[in-house]
Parts: sequence; C-alpha cells; structure tokens
Amino acid sequence: MAKVLELGKSIDEGVRALLRFLLESGKIKGVLTLTKISRDDDVAYSLITNSELVEDTVPLYPLMPSNTAKLLTRLTLLEPMTEPIAAVVKPCELRGFIELIKLNQGSLENILFISSTCGGVYSLKTAEKGNVGEKLPQYWESIKKMEVPPDVRPTCKGCKYFLPYSADITVDLIGKEYNGKKCEILINTQKGEEFISGMEGELKEVEIPTEYIDSYRNKRLAEREKIFNEIRVEKFGLEELINIFGKCIGCHGCRTVCPICYCKLCYFDSRESDYKPINFETELERKDGMRIPPDTILYQIVRLTHISTSCVGCGMCSDICPVDIPLSIIFSMMGESVQGMFEYVPGKNVEEKMPLITFKTEEFVELEL
Amino acid sequence: MKGAKILVDNNREEVILEFLKKGLDRTCFDAILIPLKVPSEDSFAYVLLKNPSLLDRASALPPVMPVQGAKALYSLTKQGKFKQKVAIVMRPCEIRAGIELYKLKQTELENIFLISIDCPGVLPLSDYIKDPEKGTDAFKETVVQWGSEFTRPVCKICTRFSMVASDLHIGLLGAEDRNIFLIPRSEKGENLLESLDISLENDMESWVTKVKELQEERKKKREQEHKGLKSKIEGPDKFLETFSKCINCHNCMRVCPICYCRECYFDSDAMKLYPENYLMRAKNKGGLRFPPDTLLFHLGRMSHMVFSCVSCGTCEDACPVSIPIAQVFALVADNAQELFHYVPGENIEEPHPLATYKEEEFRDIEMPYVETYTKKEMKDG
Amino acid sequence: MENGFEPKIIYFMCSWCGTGGAETASAHHLYYPENVRPFRVNCTGSLSTVHILRALMEGADGVVISGCHPGDCHYNDGNFLARRKIALTKSILDTLGLGTERIWFRYVAHGEGKRYVDTASEFSDYIKNLGPNPLKARNDL
Repeated sequence: MAKVLELGKSIDEGVRALLRFLLESGKIKGVLTLTKISRDDDVAYSLITNSELVEDTVPLYPLMPSNTAKLLTRLTLLEPMTEPIAAVVKPCELRGFIELIKLNQGSLENILFISSTCGGVYSLKTAEKGNVGEKLPQYWESIKKMEVPPDVRPTCKGCKYFLPYSADITVDLIGKEYNGKKCEILINTQKGEEFISGMEGELKEVEIPTEYIDSYRNKRLAEREKIFNEIRVEKFGLEELINIFGKCIGCHGCRTVCPICYCKLCYFDSRESDYKPINFETELERKDGMRIPPDTILYQIVRLTHISTSCVGCGMCSDICPVDIPLSIIFSMMGESVQGMFEYVPGKNVEEKMPLITFKTEEFVELEL
Repeated sequence: MKGAKILVDNNREEVILEFLKKGLDRTCFDAILIPLKVPSEDSFAYVLLKNPSLLDRASALPPVMPVQGAKALYSLTKQGKFKQKVAIVMRPCEIRAGIELYKLKQTELENIFLISIDCPGVLPLSDYIKDPEKGTDAFKETVVQWGSEFTRPVCKICTRFSMVASDLHIGLLGAEDRNIFLIPRSEKGENLLESLDISLENDMESWVTKVKELQEERKKKREQEHKGLKSKIEGPDKFLETFSKCINCHNCMRVCPICYCRECYFDSDAMKLYPENYLMRAKNKGGLRFPPDTLLFHLGRMSHMVFSCVSCGTCEDACPVSIPIAQVFALVADNAQELFHYVPGENIEEPHPLATYKEEEFRDIEMPYVETYTKKEMKDG
Repeated sequence: MENGFEPKIIYFMCSWCGTGGAETASAHHLYYPENVRPFRVNCTGSLSTVHILRALMEGADGVVISGCHPGDCHYNDGNFLARRKIALTKSILDTLGLGTERIWFRYVAHGEGKRYVDTASEFSDYIKNLGPNPLKARNDL
C-alpha cells in the first residue's frame, strides 16, 4: 500500500503546482530544478526562491545539463543546508548523491528529494538548435505507451533503475499521460507527508500494481543487452582497447562531469603523474616512441578502477566526450560487472557501506592461491 | 630572404618526412615530436619518436588538431629542460602558443628545435572522426584552395598562418606542387640546413609575396567577421543568449594550451562557498543558475589568458554544446591585444603585457579630477 | 536617496594611500554617501580582475578602484600593473558591451581626503544617472 496525492491537473502543471505550494507556504526556501533560460529551448538548473519564477520551470524535462549530484555536493560540501530546500532529481542523480554522501562530500539534511519514474534523457548533442523541443511530443507518447524512447542516451535506454530509491516524493510518470488531466504523486516518507500537508489534492492509499513495472523493466533489460552486444567490452583485449581509446585527447571532461569523481586534485593532474625529462628519455630508450601527453589509456583504466563500484550509469561522460568514445557504455558495463561481484547497488541505501571499505572474512576464496 | 627549394617527386608530405628522417639519421636531433595517425585511423596524436620507421605513419600537416601542440610541448618540458635535442613539427598557432608558454615559464625551449609549416586550417575534430575518408578529401581541397568551408570557423579568418618565430619553416605557399621551401628563421635553423648539406641558394620572394597577399585577404575577412560577431553578441541579453547552453564543464579551459594552472581558480576552493551564500544569492535575484558563475568563468578566463590567445580554436572543438567560444575569445583577444600593441608568440624577447608597464600609458582610463565636485548637503550622517 | 534607485558601489582601495585617503577624510569629518562600500586590498596591483568582474555580476552597480599615485606605490609598481589590468578588464567589457563605464580608476593619495569623498560622491551620482546594472537582475549568469 502506498500513499498517493492525486491532483486534478496534468503532470506538467501538477509538479509546478507542488513546487509553487512548497515555496509559497514557506516550507522550503528554494527549489533546485530545471528551468528555461533563453528564447530557444535551452534549459539549465536553477535554485529558485521566488515562487513567481516557478512558471518558467520544466522540472521533468528530458535533459541533463549536469548531474544534479554534483550540484547538490557543491551546495552541501562545506556544511549541511541551513534552510530547507527541495531538489527535483532523476533517479540516477539521486543515487549519485547518495554515493557522494558515503564519500563525505555532502549532506542529506534539510533537502526534500522530489523524483519521478524516469523515461530517460536526451544527449546534449540532441539539445542543440531546439531539437529536444521538437522531440517532446514523441517522447511523452513513448512514456505513456511504456515504450523506450528511441533516441535517448544509450545508458538511459538500458537502465533498470528507473524507480528512484530514497526519494521523499516520486511523480508517477511512466505509463501516464504527461499532458492529461491527472497527476499522481507518490509520497514515500514521513518527511514527504509533512511537506505536502495543506496542499490541494486528494491523498489516498493505493495498491501499486507491479506487473506493468516488471514488463517495462524487461523492455529496458532487452535494450541493455542489445547495446552491450554492439560493444563487446569483455572481448576488448589490448588491441581493441587501443582502438577505442586511441583517439582520446586527454581533456578529462569525463572526469569533470562524472558525479562520482570528486577529488579536488586528480592523480593525473598532480605532480605524481608529471614526467620529468629523464623519465621521457628513459622511456624512449625502452620503446621507439612515446605518446605525448602520456598515460592516455592508463587514465581511463585507473578511472575505471576508482569509480566502477559507484558508477550509476547516468551517461554524462559520453555526452561530454569531444571524440565520441562510448564511455558511458564501457563504464556502466564495467560498473554492472563489478557491482554484481560485490552484490552492491550504488546509491540504494545510504547506510550500506561501499564495497572497498568493508569486507567479510569468508569471501573471494577463489583468489587465494 | 634566402632559403632552399626542394624538388618533390611524389607528394610534399613524403619529402618533409624524408628530410626529418635525414635529420634523425645524422643526429642533428635525437628525437622528433610529430603527429602520428592513431591505430584506429580516425585521429592523430603527438608522438615523441626515435625510430625513423615510425615516421611512416606521421604527418607534418594533419587534417585535425586533437591536442594543441603547445600542450604537448608543455607536457614534455614542464618539469625541466630536455638534455637530448628534440625537433618539433607544429602549426604556426601551436608554435606561437609554445612561445607564450615559455614567457609564462611553463616550457623550456633549450635543445628544442621548432619547425613550423604553412597552415591552411584544420577540420573540426568531431566532423573528421565521423567520416575520416570524407575528412581527408575535404582537407586535400582545403590545402589546394588554401582555406575552405570545412575548416574551424577561426581558421577561416586566421591571419597568422605563416611566418612565425620558429627555427625552421616549411613553406608551401608560392611553391608549385613540385616544390617545398625550407626557410631558416634563426641561426639554429641555418646551422641545421648546413649540417644536412642543404644550401640556401634560392630566393624566397614568391613565398613572401603569396603569404602577404593571402594575409591581406584574411585581414579584411577577419575584420568583417568580427564586426558581424560583435553585433551578434554584445550587450547582456545577446551575450547571455550565446552562453545559455553552457554547462560549465570547463572543457574549453582544459584543452586550451595557455590555460596551464594545475588547479584553475574557477575549480578551486575560492568558488566553493557555504550553502547560505548560494541561498542568499538566490534570494537576491529570485533564482540562481546552477552550477553558478558561468559568466564569471568565461569573463574571468578571458581576463587571465586573452593576451596569449592565439585563436587556434581547440576550445570550440572540445565544447560539447557547440558554443562559438573560439570566435568570441578571438574577438576579445584581438581587441585587447591591439590595445596593448601585443602579438602573442611573435617575439620571444617581448615580455608579456602584465609582466611589464610603462610609466606614461593608458592615461585615458584614469578618471581625471578636474574640479572640486560640489554636492548638495547630505542629511546628517 | 530621494529618487528611488540607490546604486550599490564597491570602492576598492589599497591599504596604503587609498585607505589613507579614507582615514584623512574621516579625520576632517567629510561625508560620503552610505551606498559606497569601501573594500580594502593590500595593493591595487594585487586586485585580481576576477574580483572586479565578480562584484559587477553579483549586485554592484559600479566599481571604483583607488590606489597610490604613480611613483608612490608602497610596492614600487603595483599601481602601474593595476592600471594595465583595469585597462584589460575595460577592454573585455567594452568588446562585449557589458558596461565598461561602470569601472572607474582614480589615484588618491594618503592626504587627499577631499579627493576621496568627491570620487565616491561623483561616481555614485554618475551611476545613479546611468541606472541599475543590467547584469544585477539576471539570475541566469
């Protein structure tokens, strides 16, 4: 049995009404959500404190300019929020933030998490020249029919975590009509209930049918398999690794947008990885030639080992890559394999310890020779 | 001006690589830093090589610039001078950026032999990677026409595609297809050609004339483009419209050869503030774009590096949302550099504008205090 | 102030002559408007261009910078370098049409109390005529 707040508005209007109510009632001082910021369909996250500006927000817009986990960590790194705010996040962004909390990079206090069952987002390249606006009707149609929208990010197409964990409030989106007449909002926690009390709408207790969620998940899993079959990461070998990552230009953009990569000074920017002239000269003695700047593939592999236990498969890395390396597919596949080995789901439970800081005395016996 | 005219049998690229092989064989230099084709054959990467057979995959004038050459030079020499002699083959903007980094004490040029080459422009990286075959053809046309619609936007208006302060310059302009020119630009260059038994008996008039002719054309085009661009982006509304897509990924800063700071000011703790600060700013304006300080990042980066901006355009290639960042920076850079009569990378002896001053200059920005300003009586303070 | 718009002015001053000017002004009981906020830096040469830009984007309507006269700088040439930095900032803002007239640079010596308050008042009135900074109202910076 779940608590559902039913609003007699479309989902589009309903979510905005919720944000407006929360701001006007003074229960929150600001809301972090997507909003329109230019004449074209450009959207950006904004911390809105004036309830009149809620009119321009587009909270469930299928675009992710940055992973909100990074924005929340920017807000709460130094200390927890002193006044309550709400954040409208997608499930992977929330999971990313929970992982960052485990890494001491933020705080959950005083934040009301509003999420939705997620249909996926378009890549940043699609968002050029207002293309997302053109695709919106088709996107909402796919959502209603419970089909996977054809041209969202590959990691979104194959994502099985479209139901948010740990959100206080979840907007029921998948299988529903976006511009219809009903908006159903699941209230998951006591905190959520306190915040919405006083809002216009019907609060009921309903049984959520799980079969349609299961069938949708199967569609996503089928897509996932298709995508992973196109790029058979497990068959890479050194040859294919060099082929795929050979054109990497070392811009480290993937690291900057990744929600899990939080290091103030990455190893690969530090003096540790600077080569002195003697190092270059020695390398040149051993090999006939050496790529400059060095450590292209080492960087990718080290980043894989550092973050794969926490990779939430958001897909920001592929979007940002200037040379179109399918990073998100490789990293999320690696993530899935590593997380399966440790039976760990990143961001599911803030109390659950990360795999590399805990152990069982009897495990991985097969590694011992 | 004297130089050497080399006859070309097959293609110009081959002759240049032959020349480099000779230099390696006779130990005029111990290693060469030059772009090589990557194994997947859809991009190029700078490789420091000792083995002349690796030059078979090299290109002195590749169709793309994935990594700005000055960044490769920086990676090589940032921790000290090279004891071995290295010849580096780069485009003029890369050479100029390398010299600017030398002024900023980030590269060492001792034992480095700079070889430049006339440059018609480069193709945007993502275009080339999508279809390397088509890109190769597009680049061939670009070399023949000396410019084309396929190149980076800033390459189309580049006026400094030749005649840089390198040690040796490979001239392609003014030489018919059957020739290339080898023009020494310093004593080091002259000595190199001498040690390779290449005599400087040819007059480089045709090169000088052709280069100057093209430079004049490009200057006019640049002025025109900049005027058009300025009217499209000036003023808060239009400027913010241009940057409305910016997601603050800082790719432009990271691929820029001039931006060398290990920890950029805009990534540092100075920009990471307490939550009250963000909430207070949001309350002041009704809302606060997140991540904040997008405009501050771009204007601040301009104020930090625009004197050394060589308009290479690598930033625009790296931008994931296709903001015309290189064009905007080129416009601002041109105006700032003109105000200070400074051309980045042109003269290694000339100090960086912010490292020097004249006592009598910029009198017009000092507000004159002509007469005592009289004011109505203030209320009791 | 009477007519509605009260500009927010940031007055960057160096620790030596600039602040000295302010202190001399206070010693002579000279008043300057309350909307001018003094901001002490060690030397105008140490003032980063980013601080000026940040002030203009976060709510200041105008920025005025005062340091020692040429030749009087405590650190020998900080004010010359500051002049160059301000010329650069103004050039950038001018090219992009973002309000180069909202930055003033005037030397103020230690004993020039009147010059200090006159600068503050003059600039405040000047900005009042210009109107509020358009960047101030934008929340999409």
